[in-house]
Amino acid sequence: MAHTRSNGIEPRKVVLAPLDPVHDVGLKLIRRKLVERGHHVTLLPPDLSIEEIVARAKAADPDFVMISRALSYGISELLAKFVDLADAAGLREKAKLVAGGLSMKPVIAQELGFDAGFGPDTPVEAAVAYVEGRELDLLGGSRRQEKPDLTAGFTYKFLDSEIGSLCTAIAQQLIDWANKRTSPGIQRAQLRVEMESQRQACPEAYSRLRQEYAALSSGEVKEWYLTGKHVSHTRPITQKEADYIRSLAKNAGNLVVPRSQEVLNDRNVFVQYGTGCPVMDAYHINLSIAWGARGVVHFDPSWGARNEGLLEEAWSHEHDGTVLTLDNLRLIKQGIVPGILWQVRAHRGLNTPETVVLAHLSGADLTKINIVYGSLAAGTDPERLTVDGVEAMKLAAKYNMPYDVVTNEELAGVPAAKAFAGMLIVATAGVLLGGRPILQPLFANSPEGMITGYTEHNFIDFNVAKMKVLSSIIDAPIWPGAPVGFLTQTQDRCQSSVMTALHAALALNSGATAVTIASSDEAYAGGPITAPARVDTLKATAAAFRFFGEGGIRPTQEADKIAEQLRQGIVEVLKQVAARGDFVASLYEGDLGNKEDGAYPGRSGKGTVTLKQ
Amino acid sequence: MSVKHRILDGCDVETFILCNDVEEGKTLGLRLMAELGFDDADVVSCEMGGPGVRIRLRGYVYRPSADYQWYGPEVEQDGTHA
Repeated sequence: MAHTRSNGIEPRKVVLAPLDPVHDVGLKLIRRKLVERGHHVTLLPPDLSIEEIVARAKAADPDFVMISRALSYGISELLAKFVDLADAAGLREKAKLVAGGLSMKPVIAQELGFDAGFGPDTPVEAAVAYVEGRELDLLGGSRRQEKPDLTAGFTYKFLDSEIGSLCTAIAQQLIDWANKRTSPGIQRAQLRVEMESQRQACPEAYSRLRQEYAALSSGEVKEWYLTGKHVSHTRPITQKEADYIRSLAKNAGNLVVPRSQEVLNDRNVFVQYGTGCPVMDAYHINLSIAWGARGVVHFDPSWGARNEGLLEEAWSHEHDGTVLTLDNLRLIKQGIVPGILWQVRAHRGLNTPETVVLAHLSGADLTKINIVYGSLAAGTDPERLTVDGVEAMKLAAKYNMPYDVVTNEELAGVPAAKAFAGMLIVATAGVLLGGRPILQPLFANSPEGMITGYTEHNFIDFNVAKMKVLSSIIDAPIWPGAPVGFLTQTQDRCQSSVMTALHAALALNSGATAVTIASSDEAYAGGPITAPARVDTLKATAAAFRFFGEGGIRPTQEADKIAEQLRQGIVEVLKQVAARGDFVASLYEGDLGNKEDGAYPGRSGKGTVTLKQ
Repeated sequence: MSVKHRILDGCDVETFILCNDVEEGKTLGLRLMAELGFDDADVVSCEMGGPGVRIRLRGYVYRPSADYQWYGPEVEQDGTHA
């Protein structure tokens, strides 16, 4: 009689037999797992006849006989013969017969008379669970329920005193300058806070504030506030669509997650969404989380950055980017399960402070702010974005909301040294204002990388150099993006997924706290990103992490040389900006990226900054 | 209702088409998508190698903001309404 062990498992006798001329590694894995759990296992040698297998199995008096077959030819005849002989020998009076292996299909095994069949994708744990009489949910992966703090443990102390002194002096100057000024963007952010507090409590006050808000808006947004005319290519969300999101939210607690993606649980991999439609977004978010994303980033339409003012209510947009409204964000929030970080970007346009307010009111965890990128590569007037950016950083500090400081101006051609100098200045201002900025270097085959030859022989050295130089300057979190791999991906699904996955692995192997990845549609411009394209890169990224593990990626000696060149470049730029003594003037005059580089001071919002009364 | 309407957004068809050059491959690919009933189709990627193209085609069933019918009338095994 079998006795239950202290671990609660009743030991069973199992015979494992390969029906092939060579040993099946799967049977050896099953043997190891069964033995570890206290079962008695007999692994028969390969190349036995069926008669020999049945005879030896009968002698072992087993509870289970597990047959494996890798080769497909003649499989049905062999397995049918095995079942017949096992029946004739009385083996089945006690033992259950199981068939598995590369060529096995569970349905066929059962049709042939086996008690169970395991296909090639079945994990070893499933065979063990079957022996122990347990159900194994093959999809039963798990996701972390607690949110990671991307800034935990970082002191924000400068490790490079020369750069620290320069950044601090410049950042203090820009804060002092901005503190004396205001803008329609700041006024609308303040109005939005008041409007939301009055919306239910006092409709009359809300209506009056809304009129003030409309007066500070522009373009189609202003027209909507005044006349109700829809902004181009938008329409209201329908009740049926809201119901779709509610049904997703209702089932969010039972999200089915593939075990194969569990390797991503310990990595902070972000994906961007922004199909234009909150319903489609909710589905894309839901499936991205299922496949292992730890964070999602809201991508809004480019026109939203150029208009003064943000819409209200819930809208669907026919083109890229999902309209930023509190109602849209609250709808989307319903589809985000516990443990997932949510970033709402506020980095580039005329609604930067208000976007931070909306991010806070809708429950976002992170935002995105960078004065330099928005001024030089995203079309917003430098003076305006400096005033609004400082306000946005104050709000983020007040709401205790970390934000990344992105450097996508590198894509326009701005050298990394200039982009990093700008990022460090803004991040320093953020720290002086009490915030928790996160550095966001671009991992890409940037124009500079191509022109200088930094990326001629590999995509490792330049990116590792960026990590090395930033981590030697300041003790701050680094979150490469956004997304990684720009200009390395092609329209080919396999190539694109591999490039994304390798950049993600490089980032996290180089000490990054988080990484944002693209879909495999990154280089396809013919239509919206599809759900399978999102799964592609999450699968590839999980595979890359599984491959590298803690093994690391080794750069060449060039990485150190590039890092030193980057540091020298950063120092030169900072000295130039410090000598100018006027951060905003430096933006206009090209110290942080000029026309020759590919950077142009933006014009949206020009002339709208005023001195505070 | 067609099972196609349970597709969240787009349906990709990835295959190898025997042809003389990329343009012929793309033309044949789009004809294939039309034959499969995808009215809103595009070539996502197409690369010539050896006797033909490795091609990925996409038929959008629902673009964002479309009138989604994911959970319309029940779909039977043969694709007809319940």
